[in-house]
Amino acid sequence: MQEPTPGDPAQQMIDYIVREVIRRPALEITAETPLVSSGLIDSLALVHILAKLEDVTQRHIPAGKVLPEDMDTVNLMLATARRVGVPRR
Amino acid sequence: MTADTLAALAAVIVTWVLARRLEARALRQLLLLAASYLFYGVWGGWFLAVLIASSVLNFYLGGLIRRRRTAGALWIGIACNLLLLGLFKYLPALAQTAALGASEADLVRRIAMPLGISFWTFQALSYLFDVYRGEELNPSLVEFCLYMAFWPTVLSGPVCRLPQMLPQLREAPGFRHEDVVAGTTRIIQGLIMKFALAEILAVGLAPGEGVVGGFDDVQGGWGALDVWLLAIGFGFQLFFDFAGYSHLVIGTALVFGVRLQENFNRPYLALTPAIFWTRWHMSLSFWIRDYVFLPLATLRRGRAWVYLVLVFAMTLFGLWHAPKATFVLWGCYQGFLLVLHRLGQQAKARLAPGRPAFAGGFLSWAGTFAAISLGWVLFRANDLGQALAMLGALFSPAAYSRLALPHSFYVLVPAVTIGYFAYEAVRAVLARWREEERGRANVPAVRLVAVELCQLLRARAWWWLAPVCFAALAVTLIRLLEQSAAVSPFMYTLF
Repeated sequence: MQEPTPGDPAQQMIDYIVREVIRRPALEITAETPLVSSGLIDSLALVHILAKLEDVTQRHIPAGKVLPEDMDTVNLMLATARRVGVPRR
Repeated sequence: MTADTLAALAAVIVTWVLARRLEARALRQLLLLAASYLFYGVWGGWFLAVLIASSVLNFYLGGLIRRRRTAGALWIGIACNLLLLGLFKYLPALAQTAALGASEADLVRRIAMPLGISFWTFQALSYLFDVYRGEELNPSLVEFCLYMAFWPTVLSGPVCRLPQMLPQLREAPGFRHEDVVAGTTRIIQGLIMKFALAEILAVGLAPGEGVVGGFDDVQGGWGALDVWLLAIGFGFQLFFDFAGYSHLVIGTALVFGVRLQENFNRPYLALTPAIFWTRWHMSLSFWIRDYVFLPLATLRRGRAWVYLVLVFAMTLFGLWHAPKATFVLWGCYQGFLLVLHRLGQQAKARLAPGRPAFAGGFLSWAGTFAAISLGWVLFRANDLGQALAMLGALFSPAAYSRLALPHSFYVLVPAVTIGYFAYEAVRAVLARWREEERGRANVPAVRLVAVELCQLLRARAWWWLAPVCFAALAVTLIRLLEQSAAVSPFMYTLF
């Protein structure tokens, strides 16, 4: 799988999660690191990550269309946004 | 449990054993469904009629949502299920407090709540939500009815989800030796938790000297220590009762080759309230998280909104148990506890970033254990007045010198509590030793003996499992048949 590059959606999500959610800059996560199932992020954090995902992908994700398992890794988050997200006007 | 119930249970088990060996899927599923309905029907033909009606209704509602994936179609499905739940669960309870005419009151009093309705209605709702989300689910009517009526879970959960159940209901795995051993072990564990530990906490070392007597027989005048011990004692009683029940159900399903979602994961070892709620009644708390909290919390942005939704979701969690002020307050209290914990986390991240030291971890665990335990007073109190009187004692200095419970209670609860944590500590140490000693040459003798003994017990499970299984079943059957009035029912069958 291709490594995320600075500025791409996956890297933006990784940076946000490490800096604002987990708050452990030394922690290294990749686009395939399990986040929910490993307990690194909880359901409250998930709400903020969903909001960030909407901003990064410029897609609105309708309520009720996402389960935590759809958000387990950064790659899954982006796939979910593509699958259920509606492009913002 | 009567002899009729046991006979029906035996018939169900025999039918399942035979059905699991059938190659033809449709016939197998039909037999499994018939066995599940036979089991549920023992509690009343009317209950079975409601379950079947709900299953058929939700199957067609799922089809409707699949064809028209709109919020309107989903809301129709939600409304139908809430109406059903409201009619059978909440209306009779609310009618007791409302001023009704004699004929209306009599009519409402006749409504009996079908066992497990809260559990299987939530299963139906999760199916509708999953179809709306776009999950590829195409159960046949028989498969969906079997999912709703699956006999180990139909009375008190765990709340299952169709995406996990459907593939298992479709395959015919027969019986696997490792599943039978693991399932039987869990059944024995469940029997011990319910009929030894929960029962002794409920009744006490002598009749009337347990948690039930402490809440129901003592008329006021609780000391502060009494309240703490009753809260902790009830928390463990509920844990052993419901986690024991879950072991029974998960173990039974496993014997038949069906893997269910876990319901408990050492909740009392949780370091924070947030972690506690990922380990206690997990099937329901994850349901609330997935289908209430997340959809509502993502409707608007802002921390205040998220916290409000969190309190609402936990209040709903409380209300799910029964329409009583104490349950609503208990849920609300848990919501505020989670919000306070998150605010505390944020403050700590700003003021003292980094991982907590051992002392911090211990304090966090102790604070969580105390806060969760106090909540059980709200959960168990017979009414709001009792809950407030008991909690009020904690803030009265004079109450700290008053003792109102039998002497044996002050021994029982600390003994069970310390015993439980000692068991968990030994288990954790053994697990760590097993991990550390793997592949090492110079192993200390004590560690070697302990690890080898555990491995031997595990490898030769049937040497000790069969006699223990036989003894546990014999004791359980004797208690159920001869002292059925004295054994308290599983607590969550009330919800």
